[in-house]
Amino acid sequence: MKRYDALSALAGMMAEDTIVVGNVGPISREWNALRPSEANLLQVNLGLCSAVGLGIAVALPHRKVVLLDGDGNLLENLASLADAANRRPANLTHIVLDNAAYEGGGGLPSATAGLTDLAIVARGAGVPDSRTVTDLEEFEATAKEATDGSGHRFIVAKVEQGSVSGLPTQTMDGKEAKYRFARYIERTEGIVILRPRYTHI
Amino acid sequence: MQSEAVEAVVDGLKRSGVDFISLLPDSDFSTLQAQVSKDSDFEYVPVSTESVGVGVCAGAWLAGKRPALLIPTSGLLVASWPLTSLNLAWDLPLLLLIPFRGDIGDAFWLMGPYKDTTEPLLDVLHIHHTVVSKISEITPAIIDAQGSTISWQRPVAVLMTGETIK
Repeated sequence: MKRYDALSALAGMMAEDTIVVGNVGPISREWNALRPSEANLLQVNLGLCSAVGLGIAVALPHRKVVLLDGDGNLLENLASLADAANRRPANLTHIVLDNAAYEGGGGLPSATAGLTDLAIVARGAGVPDSRTVTDLEEFEATAKEATDGSGHRFIVAKVEQGSVSGLPTQTMDGKEAKYRFARYIERTEGIVILRPRYTHI
Repeated sequence: MQSEAVEAVVDGLKRSGVDFISLLPDSDFSTLQAQVSKDSDFEYVPVSTESVGVGVCAGAWLAGKRPALLIPTSGLLVASWPLTSLNLAWDLPLLLLIPFRGDIGDAFWLMGPYKDTTEPLLDVLHIHHTVVSKISEITPAIIDAQGSTISWQRPVAVLMTGETIK
């Protein structure tokens, strides 16, 4: 399965207000091309995608949150699986595009190229619904079930290395992404995040 | 921590608008942890490593919460990576409360190195901090630090030493 094809299928079933957190590298570049949206929070640094997504899911329990993670990215911070599972979120779908490599870092193999099975790790961490899918049809069915449903779901999508050519350059840095995302949440949730009234001085 | 100090921390957190707390269970904050975990004014997310705590707080802030992260001095070293990758790179605020183990007067030899690392590390990360040693200083220090982290859009730390953590 090609990662771009899997993400393309996912983009087609994504509700407009679903929040998507993506890790830095090819996943964010591809997702930005397929589903450009203010509801995206992309280019989250290595190992931190799942933690940031958990914080959003806890803060906004009525909003669906989808994490687009990489195998190397998640392996950097496996404890985040346990902390998320114990929180028992009802609105979190964690998808790992597992190419068994550090593609953005030169393509050297990750632990999932060896003996490590992230779906089993997630299950052991306490995630109630954890599966591995290996072809596009299976991915589409599993992702549809997750995006239509609720709960805490973990999907390992086994994908090939390699991206597609001609993707648009991501021109936003984290500072601009922060303002764009926070303003989007302010508008859609009717709350104030940036520069709240603060009168202690 | 004495109950008076715990109350001063909770009072400071509430008066400064903090509504989301993440922490790694730690002996110095155990009584405080017990209190905030059952206080419905706080969304409480315990974590297994400080790196998750920083990330959870970053996400919570972006989604409208006012987070505080309670970490030990050793945990600050762990947190330095996400504090750099998230808070410094994205300009994200975060209130850090740190029991300043290893400060002068701390008799436990294992804590000594954290006198060497804590304040210099905060300086390297451009995280301004204040040090409180008296219980009466806790609440205003937290309120001021929270005001500054919101205004500056970068983390601010309160280091607790002396009678505040005894």
